Order: sequence, then C-alpha cells, then structure tokens
Amino acid sequence: MKNKNLIIASTITIAMLIFLNILSSTVFPILGFHEFRLPFNILIILFLGFKLETPFTAILILGVQLFQAAFTIEGWAYGTFAGVLLCIVVGFVRDLLNFSTKFSTVIVTQIFQTLWFSVTAVLIYIRTLNIDYIIHKFQNFIPESIIISLLSPYVFGFLDRIWKIKQTGSKVRV
Amino acid sequence: MKSIGLEQPKLKLFINIVILGVSLWGVAQKDFTKEESSLFQTILIEIVSPIQGSIVSLRDRGGSFFRNYVLLVGVSRENADLKDKVEELESEIFNLQEIARENKRLKDLLRFGEEVNYKKVLAQVVGWDSSSQFRVLRINKGKNDGITLRSPVVTAKGLVGQIYRVTPNYADVLTILDPNNRVDAIVDRTRSHGILEGFSDFKCLMKYVTRTEQVRLSDVVITAGLGNIYPKGIKVGTISKIERESYGITQIIEVSPSVDFQRIEELIVLVGNKENGDEKRVGVNQ
Repeated sequence: MKNKNLIIASTITIAMLIFLNILSSTVFPILGFHEFRLPFNILIILFLGFKLETPFTAILILGVQLFQAAFTIEGWAYGTFAGVLLCIVVGFVRDLLNFSTKFSTVIVTQIFQTLWFSVTAVLIYIRTLNIDYIIHKFQNFIPESIIISLLSPYVFGFLDRIWKIKQTGSKVRV
Repeated sequence: MKSIGLEQPKLKLFINIVILGVSLWGVAQKDFTKEESSLFQTILIEIVSPIQGSIVSLRDRGGSFFRNYVLLVGVSRENADLKDKVEELESEIFNLQEIARENKRLKDLLRFGEEVNYKKVLAQVVGWDSSSQFRVLRINKGKNDGITLRSPVVTAKGLVGQIYRVTPNYADVLTILDPNNRVDAIVDRTRSHGILEGFSDFKCLMKYVTRTEQVRLSDVVITAGLGNIYPKGIKVGTISKIERESYGITQIIEVSPSVDFQRIEELIVLVGNKENGDEKRVGVNQ
C-alpha cells in the first residue's frame, strides 16, 4: 500500500472509531443500554493485527488507543499493550487464521478477544490486586465480546474496502 | 508514490518492543482516580463532546416527536384535524410539564447545601464512558467554569462522585459506582466509619466497618469529610445488605446509592474551596 493510501485508510478508520465510540458512549446509554457498552476499539485493533502485514501495526494500534482514550478513563496504555502483544501472536499463527467465512471470522475474533481480556485482566490484577473487579469485568466481557464477534464479519468487510484488501483474505503490505 | 518497504522483520521487532515498553510505562503510571488531560486529549474532547451534547439534547425532542407524531400514522382522515389540534395541545402540555419538571429539578439542585461555602456549578450530562468497566459521566462544564480536578459532584439526592479529568469546557466525573472511587463514609445513625467503593451499576460496598458496629438495613450513609475531597454530611445512600461472616473482624455492607445514575441528567459541581468548607456539614437530604 502506498503511503498516501495508508494515511487515508488510517484517517477513515479513526473517524469510524470516533463514530462508533459516540454510539457507544452516548446513543446506547440514551436508549437504556447502561450496563453493556461495546468496545469497538478491540475490533479495529484486531483487524489491523489480522489483516495488515506492516512493521508499523504497533504505531497504528497506539494511534487508535490514543483516540480511544478520549472516550474512556481506561486510557491508551492497557489496550496498546494487549493489542501489540496479540499482533505478535497473530504473526506466529497468521497462516492458520481463516477469514473466508463469516463463521470462521466470528470464531477467530472471539478467541482473540478472550486473549485480549486475559492480558488486560492480568495487568489490572497486578495493579489493583482486586479479583472481584476482574470477575465483574468478565461478566460484562461475555455478552459484549459475543456481540463484537457477531459484528466482526461486517465491520471487517467494511474495513477491507477501506484498506483495499481483497476478499480472498490476502493481507495488505506496507 | 513509493512504498515504505516490504519485509522488515527487524524494524517490526524494534517498533513492537518500543511500543510495548512505552505502553507498560503507561500502565505503571496510570492513575484511575484523576488524570491531567493532555493537549491532544483536550482538543479531541473539545471537538467530540459538543456532538455528544447535541445527541443528548435531541433525546427529549425525539421522544416527543415519536410519541406525538410517528405513533399516530394510520389515524383516519376524518379525525385528522381534531387529532392535530389535540396533538398540538398535548405537545404543548408535554413541553410545559417537561419545563416544570426541569424547573423543579434545577430548584432542588440549587437549594442543595445552601449553607456550604462552595461555588455551585450546574452542569448537564452529555456522555458516558465508552467502556462498561468504568462508571464515568461526561458533563458540559469545565475549567472555564472554575471546575478543577477532584471537585466533588452532587445532586439534590446525594453524592455523585468527583472530577476525574477536565478540559476547558467539559469534564469527566468518576462516580461513586466506579471501583476506582473510594469515599470515606459514616453510617449516620451509629457514626460507624468505613470506606465506600463502587461495585456495580446499582450498588457500592462499604468496607472496613468493624463487626461490633450495630448497623441496620436502611441506615443512611453519609460522607465523613475525611480525605479532603468530599464535604462532610452529603448523603451517599442507604444500607441494602449486611454480611457478617463467622470469621474476620469486619462486616461487608452493601449500599444502594441515593442518586439514580441511570436517569441522571443534571448535577452540581462544588468548586472554589471555601474557608472552612471541609469542616462544615451539609444537611443530609432525605
């Protein structure tokens, strides 16, 4: 991918993140969904990890998390650490990952969301030593992650078009 | 335009290690009780929050439109004129009732803690934290209105929380439902002291109350005034559950907050400290 296209795709992706965060932080609570809010940043970061073969994925993840931090007090650091770590894992198992069907996309996304949760839970536990907090976080994680996984084929399809990734599942190289 | 490069495993490894290191440093530095907003965050929040505010302000209008117009599709033509007039009047009544309710809420808010030497900044909720792990509200008042980090936030019904992050025109409120927020509290009847922590969307836990304290269900919990954040005597909630294990020296007490966080629309930020504000006692609102 050319540098200009990379910048355009990144900008659209960030705009999408902001739009989805406004949905999650304002529209959903107004509609009464106070308890569950969808972490769309995870979906976008997993897409970057799954589909982009570039040395700059970690920087893109950091960028996504810096924008995400304006919408949540979680900040940028936890998500960046988990995202980069998962991208390293993806690098090792990339050939095993299959996005040719919606079902496989949902399953892969769910597995990596679970890994994401495990990483952030360990970090939070190290900081707070509060297991109740982790348990409560896990209770929210289950429904939220399932919805995110179910949405993943559609969101990935949209992002595929932004990043000009062919439907065969080929990866973008920068 | 030229591509940056193809196979660059060493560069990728280097970038990954640097970003992992930086993010670990960020994790270590993270303070979940307050945060100085960076320039980047300030700009972003100032740009995005008006959009959130507009969506919130559309809520009432949208609800009224839906009730008064959309649901009436299919009404026979014969009664259309009369219906329109009724709709108009109903809409007017609805608006007046809404204004009356808002007036009452605002009056109640402004009456809160009249005797306390704080400047009161009335603010409207424009957003919530985008993560369900955190119970944080975004309000439409900020530094320009005198709000500072850790300013206490209340409603007429009781304590809401404290200011976590502030930009010139907006601020984030860490509510008492958030596990990162700890409030020094006392049971009003027995004067038993404990630390209140957020637990879920509907309740807080009061910890470190010794087993010998004879607290009862429905006892009122108020702020203790320690910690130099919250003034003494603000109502926090009522005791809804008491657990006394057969071992240990403390009991675990569940407290239902007096503020309904699901329906909170306006709130008051107490700013501009006060000569003897911390020692003064705010009337407990029942």
